[in-house]
Amino acid sequence: MSSNPTPSELLSELTQAAEKQWQALQNPAVPVIYVGHATCGRAAGSQETIDGFRDALAEKGIEAEIITVGCLGHCYAEPLVTIHYPGFPPLMYQKVGAGEARVLVNSFLQGGEDPCFEYLLGALEPNDTFPTLMDYPRYLYEKRVIMDQCGLIDPHSLDHYLAVGGYQALAKALEKGDKWVVEEIKSAHLRGRGGAGFPAGIKWDIARQAEKTPKVVICNGDEGDPGAYMDRTLMESNPHQVLEGLAIAALAVGASRAILYIRAEYPLAVSTIEDAIAAAKEHNLLGERILGTDFSLEVSVFQGSGAFVCGEETALIQSIQGNRGMPQYRPPYPAVEGLDGLPTVINNVKTLSTVPSIVRKGSHWFKAIGTEKTPGTAIFSVVGDVEYPGLVEVPMGVSLEHLIFEVCGGIKDGKPFKAVQIGGPSGGCLPESELSTSIDFDSLRQAGAMMGSGGMVVMNDETCMVEVARYFIDFTQHESCGKCTFCRIGTRHLLEILTGLTKGEGSDDDIAELQTLSEETIIGSLCSLGKTAPNPVLTTLRFFKDEYLAHYREHRCPALMCRDLIAYYIDLDACARGCDACVACCPTEAIFTTSNRKKAIDQEKCVKCGECVYACPPEYDAVFKVSPPEMIPDQGIKPLDEKKEENNE
Amino acid sequence: MSKDVMVTLTVDGLEISVPRGTKLLKACLDNGIYIPSLCYLDGMDHPPASCRLCLVEIEGRPGPLPSCSQTVEDGMVVHTETDEVRLLQKTAFRLLVSTNDGKCRLCMANKHCEMQKIAKFLHMPLRTKKLRHIPKDMPEVIEEHPCIVYEPNKCVLCGRCVYICSQQNYDFALDFAKRGFNTTISFFGSREEGVGDYCRNCRACVDICPVGALNLKDERDAFLQNLQAKISA
Amino acid sequence: MVDNLEQDQEIDLEEERVLDAIAAELPGISRDVHQLIPVLQKIQHIHGYLPLGSIGMVAAHFGIPGAKVFGVATFYNQFRFNPPGRHPIKVCLGTACHVKGGEIILENFTRRLGIEEGETTKDREYSLERVACVGCCALAPVVVVGEKIESYVTPSKVEGVITEIEIQNEIAEREKAKDEQQSDSE
Ligand SMILES: Cc1cc2nc3c(=O)[nH]c(=O)nc-3n(C[C@H](O)[C@H](O)[C@H](O)COP(=O)(O)O)c2cc1C
Ligand code: SF4
Ligand code: SF4
Ligand code: FES
Ligand code: FES
Repeated sequence: MSSNPTPSELLSELTQAAEKQWQALQNPAVPVIYVGHATCGRAAGSQETIDGFRDALAEKGIEAEIITVGCLGHCYAEPLVTIHYPGFPPLMYQKVGAGEARVLVNSFLQGGEDPCFEYLLGALEPNDTFPTLMDYPRYLYEKRVIMDQCGLIDPHSLDHYLAVGGYQALAKALEKGDKWVVEEIKSAHLRGRGGAGFPAGIKWDIARQAEKTPKVVICNGDEGDPGAYMDRTLMESNPHQVLEGLAIAALAVGASRAILYIRAEYPLAVSTIEDAIAAAKEHNLLGERILGTDFSLEVSVFQGSGAFVCGEETALIQSIQGNRGMPQYRPPYPAVEGLDGLPTVINNVKTLSTVPSIVRKGSHWFKAIGTEKTPGTAIFSVVGDVEYPGLVEVPMGVSLEHLIFEVCGGIKDGKPFKAVQIGGPSGGCLPESELSTSIDFDSLRQAGAMMGSGGMVVMNDETCMVEVARYFIDFTQHESCGKCTFCRIGTRHLLEILTGLTKGEGSDDDIAELQTLSEETIIGSLCSLGKTAPNPVLTTLRFFKDEYLAHYREHRCPALMCRDLIAYYIDLDACARGCDACVACCPTEAIFTTSNRKKAIDQEKCVKCGECVYACPPEYDAVFKVSPPEMIPDQGIKPLDEKKEENNE
Repeated sequence: MSKDVMVTLTVDGLEISVPRGTKLLKACLDNGIYIPSLCYLDGMDHPPASCRLCLVEIEGRPGPLPSCSQTVEDGMVVHTETDEVRLLQKTAFRLLVSTNDGKCRLCMANKHCEMQKIAKFLHMPLRTKKLRHIPKDMPEVIEEHPCIVYEPNKCVLCGRCVYICSQQNYDFALDFAKRGFNTTISFFGSREEGVGDYCRNCRACVDICPVGALNLKDERDAFLQNLQAKISA
Repeated sequence: MVDNLEQDQEIDLEEERVLDAIAAELPGISRDVHQLIPVLQKIQHIHGYLPLGSIGMVAAHFGIPGAKVFGVATFYNQFRFNPPGRHPIKVCLGTACHVKGGEIILENFTRRLGIEEGETTKDREYSLERVACVGCCALAPVVVVGEKIESYVTPSKVEGVITEIEIQNEIAEREKAKDEQQSDSE
């Protein structure tokens, strides 16, 4: 028996060929073009970019290899293209459309003359000639553990993953055994990245010691937060890392079945993961008797049907069982009694993606990153009014201020910062005074926000906090499963009050009700959806009370956002004669010409879409917003045709 | 009875003994300690814990907890009347009546409605002034089933009917439908051939409904006629 | 009126076709209730929607009550019960898109197409839906027309999107007419 090869030996056989191929790619004979082709890249037009390269290369008869990769996190710069031209370091270009692709082919790929500095983002390796990506302030703070290989390897190539050390952790885990793995994850103090921050090692241990078999592990890729997409990126950009983590989790708890629960709205993630499963099975990395051992794991994908609440673990289980996704009272916890009554471990995509590097590099390495209570890194999708929206991975403990102003380049167009919503619909809205808060589960919760899903929306002073609270409550009340009283009816009342406020209706009593009903819904609800839904209301009430008061006491929206409380008008002194830019853009034909041939807005017809503000040429900048609407100055406007009619009479 | 089959606990200062494995709510109700509840039924393994009325505080455990979902333990010290519990119960009740039509006198369940009982217990009116009235966006009467009538604005979505039907009939004939605030009880397919065979007209759901949201059509018609006669008389 | 009647009849006919197709597909599928949601997804994937008539068929297939299947289908956002338009329009109202005025974009489509969200135009050309985050928040506000993602959408771009489809349709129509003429003359 001892002559049987060990998992490591079997793996290294697989890896050798992959490494050779990878080495060749690092020193290419022909140019290699990497195109970011995950969902965000595709949205920005990466398919056209690829076609552009293909056509231009064919025209010029240049030989080059095109490799599609995942997302690097620099979503603001998509479509992202990296060109590795022999003799040059790999160079990354931003916003490469079909036209830019053509230019790059003509000037750079044809003979390597002009590397097109105008589109260059930076080189991927240190060198003497080009600025590198590492020179950006972003890299001072970023630390990539989970997203290490995202955007650099081809997600559809098992070989790429193997060449960068893939599945070595699985082989190691297979050799060291389940107890060792659980202890290692426990001592790494890996906390679940799905929101609650529960220690993964403890969860695994509970399931490992549960008597009932078979056991199940589930990867939670439901990602329902409307503004977070890091799980999707991980599944699309490095699917094998997720699978390896899942397999290690299964090994640790003794599960024979693994399910990846992925939203049906993420078709690319689903197909990428399915391909990866097939490839891993083919090479004995999943499926029967993995790497020659007794450990077998059946892996499947279940597509979530679009209900935010199904991210909650008990609801998720219900939906796999073919039921309505309604959360169940815990205990029993799924780790003891989960899918079909079997012990079930559920972990987030990010949690599982962290596992391989911990197993490979050891818990000490992991604990050196981040804070003592929460080691490791956090991934945020930072969107809204920042200069560089996208995905960032920072060590736990970095302050919000550094994240927003250094890593993401601060507020767009130099506008003032107002608030940041962290943790999606279950999180909270923090103002400037809280920017020194450190990013980890406990500090954020203390400040009233939540790590949650890791969605982060940065807002400038043009965003109304009452409206933001209304938006999130609208979302949660729409997504409430409707099972328990507080969440089903309570959030509906909160929405009703908030909607009133955005229209300028309300009273001091309403504000008091908002506060108490929020607090009671948090205590009274059955699951964490209801228990966290009022957070945006409570934090905005706490930090932006004045804004609430202005809405119902003065019928004024200080941020000029709530459409019932604002009006647009055209300043006749600023308006140029005869330019019809605003007239042409108005979707409801609300803009007319005045008796002195200037423009004015018919308030009855105006739907307050704001289009005319953008249409008005910057040299005139004549369209203004006011709140309350009565503030429109009286400019003695008479419509032109009205006057004509008068003359006719 | 021997010690292993009985458990002794203290509720509101009163010592009670109940069989091991009993749910706390049932233990209290059986011993004359009233706790408002809507969604719990005897014999449920995993109660839905959805109405959030049966809250109690248990010493050594965080926050108010639904008593229907706690299993009794030796030495447990339970309080059913704390301020926080009452506050939450009242809010839950207020929320439930805020969607209700409030037409008690026109309702078949008048005088034996669970909500009336709870109102009395909590000293709460059956119409809330503090909250706006938000009726469900549904017809007042739904006659989806050939002989059962459903009134969504009376329903408190306790789920008793769904549970009892699943117990009486291996294949149950009614279930929740839609989601969130619009959640409703549906008899979908009860008129369809083949699919509709599931209902055995056992009237279990009608009898278990705590509020009179489900009624037999004939009985309801007769009741309304009777009422009409009384009014005109 | 006559037009409408014809259209309605057409829809009925189509629904019948869809139901027949489903009836033919179902027997090949496992009867394990765990497959309930995958089966509903499959039907919707193939036919674009779940005709109400299919609910009973699925229930019979699994041997479970229609009310249960209806309850499941109405719980999830994914399922729709009316056929989508030829050009399904999905307006993103995720957080980032909302902050950037997604609501206004939705309103513009509503006004332009004369339908509310969740509806399909009478001629089955367009359907309008709201979705929560399609994952390109950096390009907000975002609208998905068919398979194509439109980024940085403004009210005038709404007009542009519809006009583009109309022009495409007209071109297609003319080509068709031309083809027909040609085949007539042959
Ligand atoms: C309403 C709600 C939505 C949730 N959505 C998700 C989600 O999209 N993804 C996720 O991983 N966890 C989600 N969770 C948390 C899960 O219930 C669960 O805690 C998590 O998947 C456990 O994994 P972890 O320990 O790795 O964090 C959600 C919880 C609630 C209450
Ligand atoms: S809190 Fe909301 S989502 Fe959770 S069980 Fe209650 S109603 Fe359902
Ligand atoms: S109909 Fe009656 S028993 Fe059924 S959920 Fe409604 S209130 Fe409960
Ligand atoms: S009886 Fe316990 S929550 Fe309803
Ligand atoms: S919020 Fe619209 S794409 Fe994310």
